[in-house]
Amino acid sequence: MSTPPDIIISVHDLTAGYADRVILQHINFEVRRGEVFAILGTSGSGKSTLLKNLIGLYTPMAGEVLIEGKNIVTAEGDDRLRLLRSFGVLYQSGALFGSMTVLENVRLPLDAFTRLPGFAKDLVALSKLRLVDLKTSPARLPAELSGGMQKRAALARAIVTDPGILFLDEPSAGLDPITSAELDALFKELSRNSHITLVIVTHELPSIYAIADRVIVLDAERKTIVAEGNPHYLRDHATDPLVRHFFRREAM
Amino acid sequence: MNGEKTIPRSPRVHFELLKDGEGRLVLVLSGQLDADSASLLWRELKQELAAPPATTLEIDAAGLTHCDSAGLGLLYFLSAGQMTPDLQVTLRGLKPELQKALQSFSMEDYQAFQSQQPIKQSVTEEIGTAVIGVANDLKEMVVFIGQVASGLVVLLSHRRQIRAREVLRVFESAGVNALPIVSIISLLVGLIIAFEAAQPLAQFGAQIYVANMIGLIMVRELGPVMTAILLAGRSGSAFAAELGTMKVNEELNALETMGLDPVRFLVLQRLLASLLLTPLLTVYSMFTGVLGGILVMLGLGFPLPMILQQLESSVDIKDIAFGTGKGFVFGIIVAGIACLRGLQTRAGPSAVGESATRSVVSGILLIVITDALFAALIFLLKK
Repeated sequence: MSTPPDIIISVHDLTAGYADRVILQHINFEVRRGEVFAILGTSGSGKSTLLKNLIGLYTPMAGEVLIEGKNIVTAEGDDRLRLLRSFGVLYQSGALFGSMTVLENVRLPLDAFTRLPGFAKDLVALSKLRLVDLKTSPARLPAELSGGMQKRAALARAIVTDPGILFLDEPSAGLDPITSAELDALFKELSRNSHITLVIVTHELPSIYAIADRVIVLDAERKTIVAEGNPHYLRDHATDPLVRHFFRREAM
Repeated sequence: MNGEKTIPRSPRVHFELLKDGEGRLVLVLSGQLDADSASLLWRELKQELAAPPATTLEIDAAGLTHCDSAGLGLLYFLSAGQMTPDLQVTLRGLKPELQKALQSFSMEDYQAFQSQQPIKQSVTEEIGTAVIGVANDLKEMVVFIGQVASGLVVLLSHRRQIRAREVLRVFESAGVNALPIVSIISLLVGLIIAFEAAQPLAQFGAQIYVANMIGLIMVRELGPVMTAILLAGRSGSAFAAELGTMKVNEELNALETMGLDPVRFLVLQRLLASLLLTPLLTVYSMFTGVLGGILVMLGLGFPLPMILQQLESSVDIKDIAFGTGKGFVFGIIVAGIACLRGLQTRAGPSAVGESATRSVVSGILLIVITDALFAALIFLLKK
């Protein structure tokens, strides 16, 4: 299936779930190149399931996910590797490797995918750490860092190979409002300066209003997308009770 | 024009080195500079610029259509004069957005990072740290023994706190489920020893004494020691990993803030179960081992009543009591050291695995040391 050049991710009639339990069905949406796209929903609405289907950790039960026009499930060999390199993922816990220093963590994708000389990898990794504003020694172990610092270090690792898409799984989980606002500013900067497409899974309203260009809202009961559009517009004009409740904290 | 070269295998980037007579060197870059082409270009340039016959180097990056972080790293490295320390380097023509991205690179960061690399300890320091570690470990062991003893007293006076169901669960998983492996190993060890001993003893016409030997060796030594080592490897590591994971998950902290002592709540149950099951398994292992020996003797053509007669004359009830007594002590050691190692678990992803390893190593070591002490004690008492 061909995709227009400004569409970077397209999802066609996706059904997702575990074993025989369907969690999401009839999922159709597209992410445009360079935008900040947010996947919203209450706990248990399948946000993380959708994300895992997007990045190829789970195989869709039906339908397909195309990234840059390619299906990650059917891609093999070099194609699959190229596809995997085209996006970075910031996991909820950071998922830094505890036995490696921060710099080794950030360098890891460069070690795996490039043949740069060692100090060049250090140089690039350090530049990314400066970009995410990690104010601590990169020779420390992740366990010695605060939650916010770990997120920053993990972000540096996710962008070290300059991916075109960055998936963020609940980036503000477990962080204080100030740190999470700082991270939001960082995401905004990344999307503006480095032209990265951001796909964010979240339920943090302040983050959504601050950075998201477009959102989709998932509903646990209807198991599908119940609203799509600009978050400010949805807040003011949505008619669906769940969406109104979500954006305006109104009783349903 | 000389020094023109297209990077092989990567047609995306193209570079030219132009020289003029006045010691000026111009590097003209064009195309796409990404991680693959940058690493190849890096190598090429290192050779080309090894001994430059010039005083200044100008990098013309106007032809670069795309440049990723690795490419920027190379540009930064060049423009900071790191590749050509004797030349004055200028960079021009870079697109404004790339110029902006270049600002996140800094040689100071790199030098600061280099100086932060951990300094290697000297041998004396390492020996000192190890000695302090062993001393602290011994101290913790003594404290732990005290905690267990006092906990045991409290538990015996408050029977309801024993949590019999947990004791039973441990008893089943560490004891009953260990029966197959204990059976196989004891039987085979009995068989092997009988086989190995039968040949040299046959030279003296003393094959019948295989029965005496297998009886004594299984009942007094191998039954208890093998059972204990199997338990240390099978259940000790499980105890350590279980408690270690609980510590990592902050479950132990939760217990403490609820006013529940982890030793009394978790350790004593495992200790009690181990205390009950080790002697039982030991006796079972003794008999299975002897059975292995009997099978070999039957194979050698001795009649069963004769073998049993020999066993009866050599193995005393005192020997069985001695072996079973060892089982009690080993049971306490295996469970105790495993729980201690579990509670000592530190932070980090490899911590639980480390605790499990340490529990098995210390468990086996202590078992063998205690066994040696038993042997020495018996020798002295009989003198």
